[in-house]
Amino acid sequence: MSTTDTETRPGGRGGAMGGLNNLIVKIGKSVGKVVGVLYQAGRDTIDTIIRNILPFMAFIAMIIGIVNATGLGDALAHLVEPLAGSLPGLIAISIFCSIPILSPILGPGAVIAQIVGVLLGTRIAAGDVPPQYALPALFAIDPQVGCDFIPVGLALAEAEPETVEVGVPAVLFSRMVTGPLAVVIAYFASFGMYSGLSE
Amino acid sequence: MSLSLALTGLVLAADQPTVEKPTGFFGALATAAQWFIGLFNEGGKVFVGLLTGIIPTLIVLLTFVNALIVLIGPDKINRLGEVAARPGLVYYPLRYLILPALSVFFLTNPMCYTMGQFLPEKYKPAFYDSQVSFVHPITGLFPHANAGELFVFLGIAAGITGLGGQIGDLAIRYFLVGLVVCFIRGCFTEFITFRMTSRRPVTKEAAA
Repeated sequence: MSTTDTETRPGGRGGAMGGLNNLIVKIGKSVGKVVGVLYQAGRDTIDTIIRNILPFMAFIAMIIGIVNATGLGDALAHLVEPLAGSLPGLIAISIFCSIPILSPILGPGAVIAQIVGVLLGTRIAAGDVPPQYALPALFAIDPQVGCDFIPVGLALAEAEPETVEVGVPAVLFSRMVTGPLAVVIAYFASFGMYSGLSE
Repeated sequence: MSLSLALTGLVLAADQPTVEKPTGFFGALATAAQWFIGLFNEGGKVFVGLLTGIIPTLIVLLTFVNALIVLIGPDKINRLGEVAARPGLVYYPLRYLILPALSVFFLTNPMCYTMGQFLPEKYKPAFYDSQVSFVHPITGLFPHANAGELFVFLGIAAGITGLGGQIGDLAIRYFLVGLVVCFIRGCFTEFITFRMTSRRPVTKEAAA
């Protein structure tokens, strides 16, 4: 391989030629590496879209379609409006979601949080819930995040069984306090947001 | 132009009475079928809206961030994990603020929890709580970190878009408040973990 290489080059292995050769090899290698990384990134992206995002979109689209077409959305609005449109209501939602027995049930895949998020979004768009409540609502519907996953997450962190035994109730009880607290923080952080949008 | 319009009007007017509304048993069936398929037509419209509105930008953004992560090298934050394991008040923000955020960004949702292996046992539950609290607030700005659970943010953000607003404001505030919340959760869960371990007389020296 190398002999044919030197034969084809006029002047053979001169000092300057060798340096140039090295440079070309280096450039070729690094460009190849970067292109490889970019290509793999694209491949991973398409994989994620097809495996994770599109199935969920299909499922969300079905729910929104049915809710909108049946008029269920309007019925739901009367239920949601007093809860999602005020700070005490949002705190009530977060306390409900963070009850240590309910939170692991509501957690898996964040499916419940996502459905509620989408439904609330349609209510915000319809004007039933003021847009500045979007931020506290994001925290109100999500105090149960990861509550189903504590043993697995701790196992990934190579925790001892004793740590898991303490860790599961510790996180669940902590959410009872930090869940509503997060809503309050988000409420104060949402001042001045989209004030022009609400009619 | 007006002639053709008038003509079509005429034709329509002539056609209208011939097509009666279906009545009777089969009529009810037909109406029901129409209504049933209407549910899914509506859903299809929503799906296409999501597909054209979210997917194109998301694909390009995900590709960019995925490439960036590989080029930087996720193993570099492992060293940070070792530093964050130290005791002392100074390391609290590192342990429950910077490390969770960086690990969720670079390692993304399920794999980021492996970062906990660099910490001592007593910090692991709190660190997990801190990390998992950040997997949704990060999706507003960096959807790659938790691509399977985007609709917590996107669902509510769709309401803002529907009103004609920009979601950037909501995304950045969600991110920042998320950071604050994950820090508070880390500290508070650590406190509870310590209390619970000290109450167990059976466990050997874990209390300390």
